[in-house]
Amino acid sequence: MIDATTALWLLAAIPILGALLSLVVWSQPEKLKIWSISVTLVSLLAVIGTFGRMTVSAEGLLFIVLLPLAACVSLLGQPVHQDYRLAWVMTLLFLGLGLGILTSQHLVSQIALCMLLGLITFLLYRQHNPFWPTSRLGIGTFGIGTLCAVLSAIADPPISAVASLVACAILLPLVPFHDGYVTVLTRLPGSLPSFVVLLLPAIGLHNLAAVIQTAPDVVILMLTTLALVGALYGSVKALAQSRVRLILAYGSFSLLSILWWCVAASRTVTPQAAVFLGAVAIVTSGLLLAWQVVRTRYGDDVDPRAISGLASPMPQFAVLVSLLALAAMGLPPFGVFTGFMGLLFASSFTSPAALLVIVIAWLAASWYILEMVQQLLFGRRRWDLRYEDLRQSEFASLLIVVLIVIALGVAPASLFGMESQPSRAGAVKESVTWNR
Amino acid sequence: MSLALAVPLLLLLATCLVVVGPDRSLYERSKLAAYPIGAAFVGAIAILFIVVARGPITIRFYDPASIAALAFPIGFYIDRLSAVMMTLISGVSTVIYCYSMGYMYQDLHCRRYLALICFTEFILLCMVSSANLMMLFLFWQVLSYLLYLLAHNHAHAATLRGAFKTFTLLRVADAAFLAGIVLAHQLYGTLEFQDLFARSAGMPITLSLWPGMEISAATAITSLMFIGAMGKSAQFPLYIWLPGSLFAPTPVHALLHAGIINAGGFLINRLAPLFGLSSTTLHVAFVVGTLTAVLGATMMLAQNDIKKTLGFSTIGQMGYMIMECGLGAFSLAVFHLIAHGLFKATVFLNCGNVIHKARLEPGSPHADPRAEEQEFSRLTWFTGFTTTLLIPLLILLVTHGVLRIPLLESQGTVIFLFFIWVTSSQAILTLTRLRAVASWKVSAAMLLTLLFVVFIYLFAVESFTAFLYPNPDEVASYFQAAALPNWLFDGIVIMATVLTVLSWSYLYMRAHGQAMWVPGWVEGLRLRLYVLFMNRLYMDELYHALGRAVMRVVHRIDRRGARLSE
Repeated sequence: MIDATTALWLLAAIPILGALLSLVVWSQPEKLKIWSISVTLVSLLAVIGTFGRMTVSAEGLLFIVLLPLAACVSLLGQPVHQDYRLAWVMTLLFLGLGLGILTSQHLVSQIALCMLLGLITFLLYRQHNPFWPTSRLGIGTFGIGTLCAVLSAIADPPISAVASLVACAILLPLVPFHDGYVTVLTRLPGSLPSFVVLLLPAIGLHNLAAVIQTAPDVVILMLTTLALVGALYGSVKALAQSRVRLILAYGSFSLLSILWWCVAASRTVTPQAAVFLGAVAIVTSGLLLAWQVVRTRYGDDVDPRAISGLASPMPQFAVLVSLLALAAMGLPPFGVFTGFMGLLFASSFTSPAALLVIVIAWLAASWYILEMVQQLLFGRRRWDLRYEDLRQSEFASLLIVVLIVIALGVAPASLFGMESQPSRAGAVKESVTWNR
Repeated sequence: MSLALAVPLLLLLATCLVVVGPDRSLYERSKLAAYPIGAAFVGAIAILFIVVARGPITIRFYDPASIAALAFPIGFYIDRLSAVMMTLISGVSTVIYCYSMGYMYQDLHCRRYLALICFTEFILLCMVSSANLMMLFLFWQVLSYLLYLLAHNHAHAATLRGAFKTFTLLRVADAAFLAGIVLAHQLYGTLEFQDLFARSAGMPITLSLWPGMEISAATAITSLMFIGAMGKSAQFPLYIWLPGSLFAPTPVHALLHAGIINAGGFLINRLAPLFGLSSTTLHVAFVVGTLTAVLGATMMLAQNDIKKTLGFSTIGQMGYMIMECGLGAFSLAVFHLIAHGLFKATVFLNCGNVIHKARLEPGSPHADPRAEEQEFSRLTWFTGFTTTLLIPLLILLVTHGVLRIPLLESQGTVIFLFFIWVTSSQAILTLTRLRAVASWKVSAAMLLTLLFVVFIYLFAVESFTAFLYPNPDEVASYFQAAALPNWLFDGIVIMATVLTVLSWSYLYMRAHGQAMWVPGWVEGLRLRLYVLFMNRLYMDELYHALGRAVMRVVHRIDRRGARLSE
């Protein structure tokens, strides 16, 4: 019988071992892809098998389940090509490190985090392109992140707490450290962006849970202000973009800033926050995968305005992308809506300005997401283009994403540990300072 | 209980019948789907009877104590208001669906269209029977997106633009509604209707937005929710989505104008006890409604396209409905929305025939003005003019003398009476302008119309109000909350009366061929106003300019951010 510690080690070890063993089939991309997907499925089974032995919080459990699933769909949605091999292996490695960070104790977790941030910095440096100058900022941000992770492991308080908070702000994007997140989503190759979009914020939120409780009031005030600025800035930037990956990066950054505000204002990470984060990340991952489908057919970084009318010749793609867009806009019955409403209901709005900014950011998502999807799916069909609907693996990956987002939206609340939240019948007496 | 669940589920069944299956059997399946829709109508009528006999039906699939933890508190609360709305929606849906089967036959995307129609009706039924504010908001939002999809022909650039405009404007209203819900939950800790009403009435809270600016919690919540209602019910200045959506298939308009657009009126009625706590919101509703009614009706007169004319007519009517809510006459608003819904659905479904006939008429729509002059009938005009002027006297006599209602102290009664008069005048005026018809018939029709309108309104005032709001004190409290200062109220009534009589005189003189002296500047203003209203107050252009300005700011911020990053 395996004890709890061994079980937790096993969770991290399976993907890392899988990554190392994948080198055996390195020269055969098709086999490498199948192997990588199999490893993520084994990881998922291991997670399910060790469910009872884990002592992590309800929100941590959610991420531990979601990570192998996200890795699986990210790999599944990729075309078979030798250029993507490094990304597949790195996906497994990141999965192992991510599970290690979420399940292990402080020091091991910090070491794994340093390794993860270091690897990302290296990959970004490797992918650096002088025609994409902002990627330097991303490399710099992750360099700082690595340094902060090291500091938080070895330094004494309060330096370690500050370093930990900065690392959290890089992982779970917060102004002015959001460039790392944006660069990762736009510059990393293959399956990595659609996976790290969940991995990094999940680790950030996990680490934030420990730091935020002891943060002084002045820090909280700063964080809430930055979060509101970030929510607005992310929306504005998303509205200004024409490149799909940038729209998705800034859009998700804006929504995650709302999460930052709620966590900082309440000084606690609620299960609703985890559901919201999971849903935002998975939806963004799905939309990145959908964009990968378009890139596979019409070239890298193609302008979405140049390809219109996909709804009619690619009905499967259109339906799945429409559902993902609905979820990304925060419409029911998807997880983003559930998490968002849960977050709002669990938060105390001490000022109407915060509520106003959050509602504006939520509203803006409807604008830029719908515009993006409308450009792709609707409008006049181009007769000079060849259309091909989703292949089996692409269909499966997008369908799984849609099902996960629906599940996050409609799953019983008790599953995420939300049932213990008390009814806020006395809310008015306790928290609303802007009323008399 | 199972019947209450079955009614919306029957529409979901109809959706599935249309969606699932091969293309070759689509026509048969779509015919088959009409039966569950019809059955839902019958079920809705049965529910109406049950609710009247046994009281409201409540079904909950959640624990109200932990509503904050559950994003989908699915439940149904069917009282008389919900039952009436369910009957209206399912009845109109049956007709629209049957019409659509023929109308969309051979359309490439017939399956999607019919499925969406059924699904929208399902969402509407769920919305009006929601057990709590959260569920209502949930379906409210889905409706916004369905309106985007129902534009249907997304390959057509103008349709797509209209659909996008519809969705974004409705989302603006949805955002305000969301803020209202969050605020309600924050302040009262519940989204259950009855609990919310009880707590808001028993726990008056004052919010301080900033030093020196204080409003009551009820005003803050209802104002935000009213913006939500303004969006769905196409109130000024959020009305421009409605004319923009006119490229959608005609049955969609019938559904939109008979069902979806009434959502605002329904919301205010559903939250009547909450709205009744805020005189400010009711007064705002009155102003917005009046403005929308006047502008909508005026713009309708200046349009040259039948769909746009009907669209602006709906905007005007919705303004009328919101104005009634703003005056505290909630039941009258429901009565109005039912009557308008049935009327407008019929008109929309028939407008294709009108266009078809007009195309067959060589002279239509241009009539010979000389021929018109010859058809002028003194008898018709005399009857119309005198009945219009006599009605107020008659009403005053009956109410004050016979029923002994103290008119000066009861704004509610005056509101009802005034609406009787205005509606009769409108109907009689319409008949008066039918000059081609033999004049004695028109005169008889006028008298009948007068009687009809008076009796219908008496029914609305007495029976329907008592049906929807059985507690007379509750009705009185709404009128009390909505009461305007006496000088203002009297001023409005007198001004509207004078305007109506003047309009009659003006039209009479014009029809009689007599010139009426009008100052030159007034004539010039009239022309300018005509151009302004024909162009729908340039609101589309204004919104475009606003959108462009926002995007300029957005791009400026983006460029500065990019420069900083470099």
